[in-house]
Amino acid sequence: MHNRQSLLNRITNPKYIMVYATIGIFLIVYAFGAFMYSDKGFLTIRTFANLFIDNAYYGISAVGMTMVLITGGIDLSVGAVASLTGMFIAYGTTVLGLHPMTCILASLVMGVGLGLLMGWVIHYLNVPAFITTLTGMFFARGVCSLISRESIDIHHPFIDALAGWKIYLMKYANGQWVRIRPIAFINFNVILFVIMIIIGTFILQRTRFGRNIYAIGGNEQSASLMGLPSGRTKILVYGFNGLCSVLAGVSYALYVKSGWNLSLQGGELEVITCAVIGGTLLTGGVGSMIGTLFGVLLKSVIPALITFNGNLLSWWGKIATGLLLLLFICIQRFVVTSAGKRK
Amino acid sequence: MSELLSMKGITIEFPGVKALDNVDFSLNAGEIHSLLGENGAGKSTLIKCLTGVNHMDEGKIYLEGKEIRPSSPMEAIETGISTVFQEVNLCPNLSVAENIFVGRQPMKHRQINWREINQRAEELMSRFHLDIDVTRPLSYYSTAIQQMTSIARAVDIQAKVLILDEPTSSLDENEVQLLFSVMRELKANGMGIIFITHFLDQIYAVSDRMTILRNGHLVGTYGINELSKVELVTKMVGKDMDVIFNLKRADVKPDSRITLQANHIGDSSHIKDISLTLKEGELLGFAGLLGSGRTETAEMLFGASRIVQGEIILDGTKLNLTKPFDAIKAKIAFCPEDRKRDGIIGDLSIRENIMLAVQSRKGFMKPMTRQEQTDLANKYIALLGIATPDCEKKAGELSGGNQQKVILARWMAAEPEVLILDEPTRGIDIGAKAEIQRLMLEMCGSGVSVIFISSELDEIIRCSNRIVIMRDREKVAEIDGSSCTQQDILKIIAEGAA
Ligand SMILES: Nc1ncnc2c1ncn2[C@@H]1O[C@H](COP(=O)(O)OP(=O)(O)OP(=O)(O)O)[C@@H](O)[C@H]1O
Ligand SMILES: [Mg+2]
Repeated sequence: MHNRQSLLNRITNPKYIMVYATIGIFLIVYAFGAFMYSDKGFLTIRTFANLFIDNAYYGISAVGMTMVLITGGIDLSVGAVASLTGMFIAYGTTVLGLHPMTCILASLVMGVGLGLLMGWVIHYLNVPAFITTLTGMFFARGVCSLISRESIDIHHPFIDALAGWKIYLMKYANGQWVRIRPIAFINFNVILFVIMIIIGTFILQRTRFGRNIYAIGGNEQSASLMGLPSGRTKILVYGFNGLCSVLAGVSYALYVKSGWNLSLQGGELEVITCAVIGGTLLTGGVGSMIGTLFGVLLKSVIPALITFNGNLLSWWGKIATGLLLLLFICIQRFVVTSAGKRK
Repeated sequence: MSELLSMKGITIEFPGVKALDNVDFSLNAGEIHSLLGENGAGKSTLIKCLTGVNHMDEGKIYLEGKEIRPSSPMEAIETGISTVFQEVNLCPNLSVAENIFVGRQPMKHRQINWREINQRAEELMSRFHLDIDVTRPLSYYSTAIQQMTSIARAVDIQAKVLILDEPTSSLDENEVQLLFSVMRELKANGMGIIFITHFLDQIYAVSDRMTILRNGHLVGTYGINELSKVELVTKMVGKDMDVIFNLKRADVKPDSRITLQANHIGDSSHIKDISLTLKEGELLGFAGLLGSGRTETAEMLFGASRIVQGEIILDGTKLNLTKPFDAIKAKIAFCPEDRKRDGIIGDLSIRENIMLAVQSRKGFMKPMTRQEQTDLANKYIALLGIATPDCEKKAGELSGGNQQKVILARWMAAEPEVLILDEPTRGIDIGAKAEIQRLMLEMCGSGVSVIFISSELDEIIRCSNRIVIMRDREKVAEIDGSSCTQQDILKIIAEGAA
């Protein structure tokens, strides 16, 4: 009975296989990069930090998306909602002269409200999540274009300060703290991303709400027969995902310092890709935040590799991502069928 | 004894059927009350109305004298009614421990206390003498363990009323005894238990009273000593049951040709070396405990799991089975044990469910006309006595036992040469059970070779020509069916040698 709790036994629990696959493939790809381009500085901390900086907004959105996918649903509106958030901030500060926080607050009300509404429609009106959130996406995009059909730059001291704020990574040498070379830093977006991953992990692993998400994804009918509040849980999950979309929008606005009605087109698919290569099952019931974190890193290390190569067209990145997605879906099939086999 | 629960004048109508018509039911504290009836009599419907899954059209429910109207399972649990539903209803992706505690996890510092969950789950499972790793996903374990898990959950909820809808259908004798001892313990603590099963012996072993339903009507409530078994069956079925006890074994001549032969087959995981032969018109029984390898062997013969050694020979030609479709083409049919997972497609009609195997053997290029399909479906509905208004009803809306009959009909309609039935009578009422046994033997009579897997020894002995006994994933003995007793088989299973 004691060896049950032993480390080895815990590690070999089949529920972790997907996470191992993601981390393993990330390490392989990363080691490949290190082997090929270490002379160009692929191995530096700066390159690693940039993976986070350049993809934080996808990561933030992937936190909410992971939860939605675990319930067995999908949300196609995230890109459009993030884009709308950017428009709110840009139009609000530059044209209306509002404080950015006011705009962000308005975006939060919009994003969370839309999420809750979509969750309600999905559960109580029994409309498939795909259709419901597709409608949500068109709605948000439509409002974007109503606000403005041109890109609006954001100039505001608050935004500039937030976007420019950075923590330099330091090391201790010769009795004092010095910036590491080549200079590497993390910014507000990275910290927000990491915090969201931590919050997401906490929700999924440590709260009843989080466990209900898994139960619903495993078998919704069973979940309600077991007396779990499936409707409430689903609605809140879409609401939380709305929150993540808005935060992703804020983070993207800080990254590009403008709002454009056509920004982040197809962003929802990038986000779903991150979650799936992070080991989240599209059929629901399986997924984790650690997996998603590595999914984001894995997806972003590929364009980085192509940049380092310098000779390849960036479209190769898309092809590689596609292959990766295919690989993961195959692994998932395998894991699902072998886990479904009785002992 | 005080009345704990009372249901008065319950009426529930589904489109086309009155599932319950003015039914009264009462349960005392500290009582085990069995609910009996044929498939489709309305037992599960009564339970579902008590637990807020179905909503009643008329009637009143009182719990401890107060009227209640549960509108969802969540509410039912809160009012003190805990249920094990007929089909295992848990989440396959969650761990065993979590399935027991999800929704009511112990918390510490406002966080889920995983250590306590796993510890308490382990204790609970060991109360059922199950020493398993409770942190593994539920899907990793057998149906029996899954069923134990859902029982453990329901028991641990500490409700006032515990409902067990056919909890024993996939448990073996030992596990059933364990369940009974737990039930008696709970009863002594004043819990009221509603128990549904098709095993008459089990009813007599634990119940205090029984209520019989027939076609949605109340037949009556009786003390356990008021009715003999025969009287009970007569009341359930509404007619005398001489037929049941009058079955004749299939008649196999010594020189009948051998249809199916397996030589030393084994799969990639557990089964190493199984050999068997099957003659034309013969019924071969597979006896053994759950997990003894009966299902795995059947799956190999059907191509559902790949053999890595040995060979399978059908009518003198070696078969290369890599997928079930190959077996279907070779006229081997397999009716699996877990109807919800492998069998019934709930959203398709009864007719479509029956047509599946026929159609896939004929090839989808040669469709049957609608009229042919309807005729065929109706033929089997009548033959098996499936309780349904017509063949277009969705299979998912049938009662559990009737779903089982639909699967059986599917494979019988495919006119196989070899028919493998894995626990075909599980969850089926006594009348229909006899009917299925009779049908099996009739098929043997028309030249079909049948492999019959069952955990109920008496039906294996009653029907089989020869009996293969499995233990720990090996074939330990093969004995003649006409000259053995239950004791013989139990002895071999226990000792592992012939
Ligand atoms: N959701 C539903 N829609 C339509 N009809 C239904 C539905 N649920 C049950 N029925 C019908 O109600 C009747 C009673 O079914 P019920 O499941 O209560 O039978 P049961 O006594 O539990 O049988 P079994 O022993 O086979 O489990 C059946 O005729 C069934 O077809
Ligand atoms: Mg039933």
